[in-house]
Amino acid sequence: MNYIPNLEFKEEILKEIGIKRIDELFSDIPEIVRINRLNLPDGKTEMEVKKEITCTLKKNKRTLSFLGGGIYDNYVPSAVKAIIQRSEFYTSYTPYQPEVSQGMLQAMFEYQSMIAELTGMDAANASMYDWATSVAEAVLMCSRITKKNEFIIPKNIHWEKKSVLRNYTKGAKLKIKEIGYDEKTGEINLDELKSTINDNTAGVYVENPNFFGVLEENVADIKNIVGKTLLVVGINPLTLGIIKPPGEYGADIVVGEGQSLGSPMNFGGPLLGLFACKKEYVRQMPGRLIGMTKDSDGRTAFCMTLQTREQHIRREKAASNICTNESLCALSAVAYLSLLGSDGLEKIGKELVSKTKFLADEINKIDGYKAPLFNSCHFNEFVVKTKKDTNRIHKRLLESGIDAGIILNQHFPELGNSMLCTVSETHSKEDMLRLVDALKEVKDV
Amino acid sequence: MEIKKGLRYAKTHEWVKVEGKNVRVGISSYAQEKMTDIVYVELPEVGREVKKGDELGVLESVKSVSEFYTPVTGKIVDVNKNLENSPDLINSSPYDDGWLVVLEMKDETEINELLSAEDYEKQISETA
Repeated sequence: MNYIPNLEFKEEILKEIGIKRIDELFSDIPEIVRINRLNLPDGKTEMEVKKEITCTLKKNKRTLSFLGGGIYDNYVPSAVKAIIQRSEFYTSYTPYQPEVSQGMLQAMFEYQSMIAELTGMDAANASMYDWATSVAEAVLMCSRITKKNEFIIPKNIHWEKKSVLRNYTKGAKLKIKEIGYDEKTGEINLDELKSTINDNTAGVYVENPNFFGVLEENVADIKNIVGKTLLVVGINPLTLGIIKPPGEYGADIVVGEGQSLGSPMNFGGPLLGLFACKKEYVRQMPGRLIGMTKDSDGRTAFCMTLQTREQHIRREKAASNICTNESLCALSAVAYLSLLGSDGLEKIGKELVSKTKFLADEINKIDGYKAPLFNSCHFNEFVVKTKKDTNRIHKRLLESGIDAGIILNQHFPELGNSMLCTVSETHSKEDMLRLVDALKEVKDV
Repeated sequence: MEIKKGLRYAKTHEWVKVEGKNVRVGISSYAQEKMTDIVYVELPEVGREVKKGDELGVLESVKSVSEFYTPVTGKIVDVNKNLENSPDLINSSPYDDGWLVVLEMKDETEINELLSAEDYEKQISETA
């Protein structure tokens, strides 16, 4: 949107609305909480600002990063940036008016179609804020559909997701129960799932791959145990070129993080919450949905649809209080997936699996390290366990420009000294061996 | 717009037809006209016990979403399954094919608390 200052009409505007000074507009704000002026330095020229910012940015250190755990450093092709930076997309505001937003609406429709196809679901919404809010909304949705108030989640999901889930479900008075993982494989503990599920269970959430990077092999068993209770599956979309989509093993709702599809890590956001479901539940699905229709001349057109579920129409009875979506990130995902195609997605999935295996095997060769800790198939990350102090190892490696991954000690004390290492296709063999060598060198911790 | 004689009406625009111990419930032609084209109906489960005034389900039109309420206390014994695929029956035939639910009444005297067709007509002409 353009910013058009109207200062030259100031006097005219004041006269029109019947006041003498702008201050009068703030007369409702008590004197005591008002400030006269901000203590700001004098303005600077563009040249000075540029110089200052450049100097500040130089303080940033580029590390070789093996961070992951939900946000991934996958390569973003330049074409993605070029597409999303077109001003028609980049500056367009919320597409409530179909007559002026056909381009954006079509892009969102394509995004939904791709996510639905990838996940094996009937419909996807135009995105949520992030994976965590997608999970939380899915839990609320299961409760609306089943009118039951208990929900089962795995113990080993990201702690921030649990925190968001607690926030979202507190008001709705839902009870969240956790089930553990198999000590050897890191997969869902099926016995615990069986004994925890009961008549009050609204749904079960599983992640595939899970937080430890482990791919669930027992999806058919999980579906059998879950039965008619709703099954919500959390995914990394990059896996779906090589493993079955959740729709094929009985998922009712699929959620996930779409950041790895064409958005950079950006220190943790903005992210892209994927959300898809079966057709029979579409009216209980939160968020925006773009539909394809025909205009008055019979031409194909796009518009927001099923808005009667939403807050601006249904007020307090709305399916969700989300009134927006992550359009630009969803657009990146459309551009990214279009560039990759199904072949590209398969190729990147295979590359991630083989690179992850290479790094884990190399680390496992180092004395005092076990990688991967869990005996199962991994996608793009794995848990490393060591006898040494992970906090100190991590610190030492940072000094030599390597971020070895997420330290898990605090969040999963039962694992002891452990880290989650994540691989992306941007890591060369040399990069991975640099990490291995650096780990070998840390001896005295 | 027809306000069918011989039926009882709730202030919230549901009609009630007494069929022995049961009552058939729908929404008035006035209500369907105000809602415009109904595209989706969410019906309650058969067997549920409800108290007069409880929410029974949801009607969704192209313009709005409205709840409908039970005019009497009782148990739900039947719902109009045809509405799942043809919600427009409520628009085309609000008093016959577009019925919503059948309830078994707990207290038949509750019927007397509802409006007659004449009183209902008066209510809507006053609010119109």
